[in-house]
Amino acid sequence: MKIAMKIWKSICTKFASKKTLFGVITFGMILGLFSMFAGSKAVKYTSTDEYCSSCHVHPHAEQSWKLSTHHNTKSGVVVHCVECHLPPEGHGMLLAKAKLGAKDLYGYCFKDSSKFKWAEKRKLENAKKYITTESCTKCHQNLFPKTLSVKGENAHLSYVSNPSEVSCLNCHLNVGHFDPNNKHEHDTNFGVTATKSTQVFTESTPVTSFANFTEKIPGTSVSFEMVAIPEGEFMMGSTKDEALRKPDEGPVHPVKVSRFFMAKIEVSWEEYLEFFKATSSQGRKEAEKNADVDAISGPTPPWGAPDQGWGKGTRPAITMTWKSANVYCQWLSKVTGKKYRLPTEAEWEYAARGGSKTPYFFAGDAKKYTSEGFFKKVLGRDTTVIQSYVAYKENSPSQTIEPGMVKANPFGLKNMLGNVYEFCSDWYSPKAYQAYKNLVVDPQGPKKGKEHVIRGGSFKSDAKDVRCAARDFTKSQAWLVTDPQMPKSVWWYSDCVDIGFRVVCEADENVK
Amino acid sequence: MEKDNKGINRRRFLESSALASIGLLGVSAFISGCKKEISSKELGLPPILKGAPKGKKLRAGLVGTGNRGTGAAMNFISCGPDLHIVALADAFQDKIDSCRERFAKMKVDIPTENCFVGFDGYKKLMAIPDIDVVILATPPQFRPEHFKEAVLQNKHVFMEKPVAVDPVGIRSVIASGKKAQAIGLNVVTGTQRRHQQDYIETYQQVANGAIGKPVAARAFWNQNHVWFRTREEGWDDMTYMIRNWNNFCWLCGDHILDTHIHNIDVINWFLGRPPISAVGYGGRARRITGDQYDYFSVDFDYGDGVFSHSMCREIDNCANNTGEFIMGTEGYTNCVNTIWNMDGTVKWKFEYPKDENGNETNQLKIPAYVQEHMHLVHSIRTGGYVNQAEETALSTLTAIMGRTSAYTGKKITWDEIYKSDMDLGPQVIEFGPVDMQFEVPIPGTEHKG
Repeated sequence: MKIAMKIWKSICTKFASKKTLFGVITFGMILGLFSMFAGSKAVKYTSTDEYCSSCHVHPHAEQSWKLSTHHNTKSGVVVHCVECHLPPEGHGMLLAKAKLGAKDLYGYCFKDSSKFKWAEKRKLENAKKYITTESCTKCHQNLFPKTLSVKGENAHLSYVSNPSEVSCLNCHLNVGHFDPNNKHEHDTNFGVTATKSTQVFTESTPVTSFANFTEKIPGTSVSFEMVAIPEGEFMMGSTKDEALRKPDEGPVHPVKVSRFFMAKIEVSWEEYLEFFKATSSQGRKEAEKNADVDAISGPTPPWGAPDQGWGKGTRPAITMTWKSANVYCQWLSKVTGKKYRLPTEAEWEYAARGGSKTPYFFAGDAKKYTSEGFFKKVLGRDTTVIQSYVAYKENSPSQTIEPGMVKANPFGLKNMLGNVYEFCSDWYSPKAYQAYKNLVVDPQGPKKGKEHVIRGGSFKSDAKDVRCAARDFTKSQAWLVTDPQMPKSVWWYSDCVDIGFRVVCEADENVK
Repeated sequence: MEKDNKGINRRRFLESSALASIGLLGVSAFISGCKKEISSKELGLPPILKGAPKGKKLRAGLVGTGNRGTGAAMNFISCGPDLHIVALADAFQDKIDSCRERFAKMKVDIPTENCFVGFDGYKKLMAIPDIDVVILATPPQFRPEHFKEAVLQNKHVFMEKPVAVDPVGIRSVIASGKKAQAIGLNVVTGTQRRHQQDYIETYQQVANGAIGKPVAARAFWNQNHVWFRTREEGWDDMTYMIRNWNNFCWLCGDHILDTHIHNIDVINWFLGRPPISAVGYGGRARRITGDQYDYFSVDFDYGDGVFSHSMCREIDNCANNTGEFIMGTEGYTNCVNTIWNMDGTVKWKFEYPKDENGNETNQLKIPAYVQEHMHLVHSIRTGGYVNQAEETALSTLTAIMGRTSAYTGKKITWDEIYKSDMDLGPQVIEFGPVDMQFEVPIPGTEHKG
């Protein structure tokens, strides 16, 4: 109270007379009242399309909106910026407006808009931040119009039976801003139009000695390199003092791994598409039957583009399920006459380390490279070394890279760390390592489980998650949330774009 | 935009009235200090009517003119004033002829040009703009398709249970039901216990806590063998199967759907939810035709420790009974007319109407088969809305879950069966030879059904 009185007195002394003070207060009150009335006007004014586009000058925003089904409508109704980008009144509209406004203002004043990753912002997980379900359902009140197709019925039934898990955007991502590359349908032509080379291999590469070789897939013109990984012992997992490790990486335990061959790069689209073409038949228009592999039935046509439009070729194949990756190995074994399979978790880590005992197979630790934490962001750090070996959050363009862009590890393997997560054959358990007390030879992981081990981190990962010992696992349910089919696909994940795999080949007794 | 405004105003109105009623409830609870009885309206119970109200002329078309279809159509025209049957559709001419004759005896003439024979007859019937209501009473295999078309053609619907034979059909019925709701079409289904006054009043007692919290349930439909047809000379595969539809799973869904669904539906209704999983037994002992079972025994898990034992059988000279039972923490009920205390004394009994001598009869004056049509006509003519498509689809799916568990010997969860791609019918429905296998399911092995 004393302080308040003091302030009041000091204010009073600032003015020459009481009359002036009264005038100022009256003026303030009028201004306040005026601003209250003007407030709603201001909200309206700052909610027009013109006002939005006065700052949002990137031309694609306006152009793609105009091409979208929310502007170019049959009925001529135009849906304006804020009708989608703000929740409707009564659902926190003003608060959301204030927040977004502040964010936009900050961005306008302090950020370089030419560096914004617009494509990234339009991805599902980010788009969800900008569009609320209420914005959609305010107008789209009937989810079951008479014209709805059977596929639409299934998708909407799946939504109404679980509205907290799926949002409208899962399926209708590009309805506000047109994307010519995004097709809302099964891609029955996926992989069919891959280029055909004149040279078609008639047989696979015979392997008699334990050395690197180039495998040729018979009946195709695709080959890939296999690296001979000698047998050896190593310490699996990370010690408690390793920076930014997680408890499931311990305890560290000695493991002996028998020799095997491992693919130099992650299974590429050109390899995977041969499998897809040879085995997929279900649901394809006029299935391309191939009598040689009829015993193996492979993936159904994917929804949209599994390569995300990033390109195929030597980029890793992605979004296939663990089952699908396994069937690939069966198919590859069948056509080559060798024993291809997914690596065990132990084989994977042994190969990734390439003899090193440090967090990465190159110098440095996670503390040095991570971008998490305020000071890291502000002060910056020297990430030259990690950037030369690994495609991760810092250096990737938010998508997969071609293997030529990074250097190999000591065994000669590329992208073991980063680029895409890789499936292992083991079931995941956070306590898996606790089962091993003494030296264990070729461990296979827990006997049972719900999810499988994935390793190596991806182009989305922070540096701490691309360490050799870092473990992760499949998330079957979360990775299939969007899939509108009933039942959901067993071949393709709808909600995970950074999963792939790498094959190993067993070196049997015929190999000297 | 106008529509939007209406929607918002309506929502606001609902919000404010809901708030007001919550307030009132609070006050009354404070004053009386006891629980307020939940009214039949709040429980979503249908009105008990003495007859359908007067109103605009309603013309109905009957799809599936067998015994049940003809019966349902007669129930419809008898339930109130100015109700007419004006068109028929069936796969077979002789079925249409005999149905027409029965109506002719009642002085109801159905013109020849409004009788459509063949598998696409329903489409032609529903294309008649004057028809307001369709009665769907074919074998359940065809129901999803017929219901879908009825909604497309803006018809109010009465449809018999079960409403499908497989999950693909069930989802179609649920979706069509939602489409019907969106455009204000009324849908009543033939799970007539939900329109039976004694069941309704018992339900109201249970909903108001007469047996405490339900903890266990039983449901049964054990009876003698039912009809079958042996193949006659000149019948192709399709003709034979449709004439003997009650014995083929792809047409009938097996008797756990055909009849036992009534009891399963009552349990779902009283417990307020479908089960979360099922483990069942079943087998075939005496059947002569088709690919179905003679008996099922299924344990439905409703979650929260509540289970219902369901059984159904169609074999002569066995213990027969039909009905339901629910055990609660404070009493138990047969669901139809009586509630007992835990010590076996009667707590409440439904009063049936008395005969001319003043003695209590044991049945309602208006059969539920007629009452359900009164409800439909009442809803159409007064604007009160009814749509039972989803509730009956979910009860049918419950029966399918039990059937699949018995056929395969596996535990089947609700999520699995709801999302299953099981589709029992052939790709094309046409007369002639049919390329299908009819192996009787063996538990422990895979089966299409």
